[in-house]
Amino acid sequence: MIEARKVWLRYTPSQEWVLRDASLTLAPGRIVALMGPNGSGKTSMLKVLAGLIKPGRGEVLYEGSDIWSMDESRRLQARRAAVYVSEKPVMVRGTVMDNLLLGLRLRGAEPRQARDALDRVVEGLGLKGMLDMDARRLSAGQAQMVSIARALVLKPRYLLLDEPFSHLDRARRRLLAELLEELRGEGVGIAIAGHEELYTLELADSVAWIESGRVAMQEPGSVLI
Amino acid sequence: MEDLVGVTARTLYISTTATILASLWGIPIAYLIASRRLQTLATVFEALVGIPTVLIGLLLYLLLSKQGPLGSLNLLYTPTAIILGEAVLVTPLIVGASHRILKASIDTYGELAASLGASRIQAMALALAESLPGIASSMAMAFSRAVGELGIALLVGGNLKGYTRTLSTSIALEVSMGEYGDAIRLGAVLLSLSLGFSIVARLLGGRG
Repeated sequence: MIEARKVWLRYTPSQEWVLRDASLTLAPGRIVALMGPNGSGKTSMLKVLAGLIKPGRGEVLYEGSDIWSMDESRRLQARRAAVYVSEKPVMVRGTVMDNLLLGLRLRGAEPRQARDALDRVVEGLGLKGMLDMDARRLSAGQAQMVSIARALVLKPRYLLLDEPFSHLDRARRRLLAELLEELRGEGVGIAIAGHEELYTLELADSVAWIESGRVAMQEPGSVLI
Repeated sequence: MEDLVGVTARTLYISTTATILASLWGIPIAYLIASRRLQTLATVFEALVGIPTVLIGLLLYLLLSKQGPLGSLNLLYTPTAIILGEAVLVTPLIVGASHRILKASIDTYGELAASLGASRIQAMALALAESLPGIASSMAMAFSRAVGELGIALLVGGNLKGYTRTLSTSIALEVSMGEYGDAIRLGAVLLSLSLGFSIVARLLGGRG
């Protein structure tokens, strides 16, 4: 389980707090939707959960241990349980396949160790015909799929997705939604930041409504209404 | 006129060495500025881009002359003196261009690497690798600046035939002797080198 507990965050001391006393729990096999207006703190909360940003106050617990109290190497091992996928897909130089294998390369793992995960995401997200394409020449939707696939190849226990449906057409949204449902069934905890978007709400077990950096938990049905 | 091939080769050797030397200290400085957000230092280097070359030549002359603090090294009127001067000249150019490229790269690829579970060193390596075309472009730009430099080459090189004479000092000499045809021929070679490397810089920058 990943838990942000009473977290306060601001990017510079002179800035307003982006997150204020915000708490959020991501459990295995559950999908949490993070919703709220632009600039409300959704992306910041995902990055805090991913261990990418250290909050000014509060704790970020991975399986009960505060990652910011750990030494750097233990924190690295702990936060490898979760992968954050940005709303703006970033591709490194090279082919789509090079990008899919990037996380494995960075973790010092052999690609063949993740053969099954690789085959699954390539099939599941319809990337088969794209593997040799120049990753920097992809459309926004294609790049978003590759970016999500790159995270899934790592078989994370927690997946933190920032606006994953934003650039996708209807067919790709459906593919992604099906894959996320499958992953939930396998015990992966998933957080999805988005606007009041049907796919996200359909998938979500609970909704965290974020406004002005504060979090309020709601039932998905209440947001739909 | 001294052998054109010899002068061109010497000019290339001096400018290339100066560019590599400036990169050896300039790129780490640029990385430090980019990663630690040292904006004041960045502004200082950007301001130094326009420093008159004659001033650098004069300072270096005072340092390397017999009475200067580095006089015992006997570097005045040697190719090494020109290399040092040109390296100092192009350092602000390399730092100024590279730190912007590196900052953008650290912000973008550093976060990507960290989100995929990379350590801080691996994230730094990815950010550096992705900014290589841009850094190479800034090095090519620096070479273009160094290759046509005159003030430093004259003051600390002395324009000695067969030893410290470069394309730019040769042109100055030919013009002073009224040999305009030779000066134009040397100028054409210098222009092709400078343009060639500017084009390389643009192509490399475009790939980044």
